Amino acid sequence: MESPGADFSPDTLAFMELALEQAKLAFDSLEVPVGCVIVEDGKVIASGRNRTTETRNASRHAEMEAVDVLLEDWQKNGLSKLEVAKKLSKCHLYVTCEPCIMCAAALSILGVKEVYYGCTNDKFGGCGSILSLHLGCSELLKSGGIPQGKGFKCIRGIMASEAVSLLRTFYEQGNPNAPKPHRPLTHQATH
Amino acid sequence: MNKHTDAWQILHVPDKPPIPPGQQPTVNVLASVIEPKIANTLVRRLNQIAPLENLRHVKRVQKKYHEGGKTQLAVILCLACENDNQLDSMQHDVREIVNAYQLSAFITKVSKSAASSKEEWEEQCKLWPTSYHPPTYNIDGITGFSEEDSQSVFSFMRFAVELAKSDDGLVVNAAVIVDPSVKQVIASARDEICSWNTCNNKSSIQTSSFQRLEVCNTCSISNVRTDDTLLSKASTSELGRFTGVSCLYPWRWSEQQLSPPNSCYWHPLRHAALVAIESSAARDRLLFPGSREIEDKSFDMEHIQSPSTGSPAKRKKLDMKNVEDHAKLDTLVGGNSVSARPYLCTGYDIYLVWEPCTMCAMALVHQRIRRIFYAFTNPNAGALGSVHRLQGEKSLNHHYAVFRVLLPEEVMGNKNGLYLKAKNSITQFEIRSFIQTIKTRPLYIIPLRLGRNA
Repeated sequence: MESPGADFSPDTLAFMELALEQAKLAFDSLEVPVGCVIVEDGKVIASGRNRTTETRNASRHAEMEAVDVLLEDWQKNGLSKLEVAKKLSKCHLYVTCEPCIMCAAALSILGVKEVYYGCTNDKFGGCGSILSLHLGCSELLKSGGIPQGKGFKCIRGIMASEAVSLLRTFYEQGNPNAPKPHRPLTHQATH
Repeated sequence: MNKHTDAWQILHVPDKPPIPPGQQPTVNVLASVIEPKIANTLVRRLNQIAPLENLRHVKRVQKKYHEGGKTQLAVILCLACENDNQLDSMQHDVREIVNAYQLSAFITKVSKSAASSKEEWEEQCKLWPTSYHPPTYNIDGITGFSEEDSQSVFSFMRFAVELAKSDDGLVVNAAVIVDPSVKQVIASARDEICSWNTCNNKSSIQTSSFQRLEVCNTCSISNVRTDDTLLSKASTSELGRFTGVSCLYPWRWSEQQLSPPNSCYWHPLRHAALVAIESSAARDRLLFPGSREIEDKSFDMEHIQSPSTGSPAKRKKLDMKNVEDHAKLDTLVGGNSVSARPYLCTGYDIYLVWEPCTMCAMALVHQRIRRIFYAFTNPNAGALGSVHRLQGEKSLNHHYAVFRVLLPEEVMGNKNGLYLKAKNSITQFEIRSFIQTIKTRPLYIIPLRLGRNA
């Protein structure tokens, strides 16, 4: 695991710090501690953290939460679909843990530009660990004329140890929301 | 994909892609025909000295039936060397047996790995008999459906197909989450990427799945004359007609027209499966407001008592709320405590008209769905066999069983009147009577049962 600040710019580290703050908010609410921020032109425009326990909806990951906030804001401001798509294509996402397969697919659908993440997600990761959805599907593009999966650039390992230790502390306490036979869990990211 | 059938059919979609017939990997073994009376002794001895370690699926003995009722037994002596067709590679103690019983060994092929489907197994047995163990993670249906269960599956799938059609002729994906133990609809939803109506906020979330039933009811009646070609080509290559199906074209959201303009929010990720998950989570929060550890019994009592003691006006207002309470009443009446709150969608099934995209399929893993039934494959983005195969990703912490339901032509909508009959039987009769029940008997709601007569 890289030491903090090894190869990353101060800006990158600062945005990941904000994502970690979101993860800590999740932790304090007894949620799996994962957080994220979305950045456009060097400014944070949305943030989100895991809310799966509170909502009882296991798809409410940090990324989905942040995206919902953003889409609602932009539509309230009267942006059209094409304008939204254009803005998304300039956005960078900073998330403490590798996006899961669901979130990676969602980020591809939305067409974000770059994703920066902390620790890898060995069980569910969709940006290199289990599937590599960030690469898009170029094979399908060749075979048919239909627009297919968009890829996005992925940079990993930013403040990974902080993200891991937060997750480890959470799982060592036992996930209060897990069904009884599964408790306590260790080292298992549900994100 | 893509075969039109005359009858409903349920096909298991296995964890691994099926291997084309004749392309399963094989290994060479040495075998010999033997006298039946020495079979027991021989097999016992061979299992000791030449166990088939990595071929546990392969049966040691092959029984062949010949004309005239005669049977012939052959036994596997040992593995043969791959690059050596000579019989003298045989190990010493096996050779002793061969000599002692005057066997004449020959080289034959057996399948290298265990079959992952019944079809593969049948293919393997043409070479040499193997045993087949269907996946044992204890999910009903992998080894087949009873007549009653099949009828129930078909009814719910028909419901989903009806839900996928709309007044304006656009076809979308639809999702129906079902508790199969009581044959009850938990939540249902259509794609909402073009029109996510947030205007009615919370109350609409609470009742949305039930309003859908009414919507479905009315639209299916009005569509009888116009929609008979809507789905008929769904299983052909003409997928371009279904651009409104979000799982088929997840990356096309920015090109799609808004309908109706201005009145609603839109959201590129509100695919039917995600909306249905959201709706079932909302139902869960409503029915079981306490946390897992601290059960709030007082809340339950309040809701059971209030309609009977309240004024008529108050009762009416509570009607839709009580719709959501019926599951709770069921649990209470059934003798279980309220603490039998579901963990996410554990034990539930979902019916989807189209194979879900990667995002939806993974959301269903997270939400712990037990079985997924879909009607049409999704060659663009399907994650249950077409592009990816999440049911076979071993690292995931939950695995559902996946089935494809083949629809007969009349359900998808073709010339004959069967379609109309089928539609009437489910949407008009059952749903209308269901809604009637809600209106007249708020306290003793009967869950929507899509029975075998549908």
